[in-house]
Amino acid sequence: MKPLHLLLQRFADAGLEFVVVGGFAGVLHGSSYVTDDLDICAVLSGENIEKLRTALADLHPVHRITHKKLSFLEHPPAGQQVANLYLETDAGVVDVLSSILGLGGFEALRRNAMEISLFGRRCRVISLEDLIKAKEAMGREKDILTAKELRAIAAKRKQS
Amino acid sequence: MEQPDNALEKARRAGIDLDLLDSNLALTYEQRVLRHESALELVLALREAGAVYETPTPAAPEIR
Repeated sequence: MKPLHLLLQRFADAGLEFVVVGGFAGVLHGSSYVTDDLDICAVLSGENIEKLRTALADLHPVHRITHKKLSFLEHPPAGQQVANLYLETDAGVVDVLSSILGLGGFEALRRNAMEISLFGRRCRVISLEDLIKAKEAMGREKDILTAKELRAIAAKRKQS
Repeated sequence: MEQPDNALEKARRAGIDLDLLDSNLALTYEQRVLRHESALELVLALREAGAVYETPTPAAPEIR
């Protein structure tokens, strides 16, 4: 299995504008929870879908929720609008979301996002405050627990 | 945002390991990712081992 961060490098190299969200963003903020997927928020325009295809071309990307695991390299066809992509690749699972519950779309996230250098690439990551809002908006038990941990991280940052 | 002490106390009561957070926060972003990927590798290996353990062994052929 290739490391999840390979996907971030690929997206950056393909020129995709995105913000890292979800559990992987939590890890970057200092969370101790393990996540087995990568979630990013991006505008799912035709141009960006092509960039994603370029980035993932040799990683056998498929739509993991579809019955026949359709290839992402062929579906959706040009011109078809999609709200989210739930993909499985040789480098792990990646979800590309066009909006985040409680926060909005890419532009809303980008405003507060932090920009970091990661393995030689510049990368935007959802702000800690926005990630807490998103987790609390999701409201599942695991998200509430994660939000408590993230609030503790915010508190530790304030104290330091 | 709530008071820092309050957030820390709530986290502690929820069973969150605050020392582990200190340890993570002392790392660079890249080190956090690498530590996470090691942990994920272990989780996936354990999951795979569990799946093999739970798969019923095929019955041995009957000898006559």
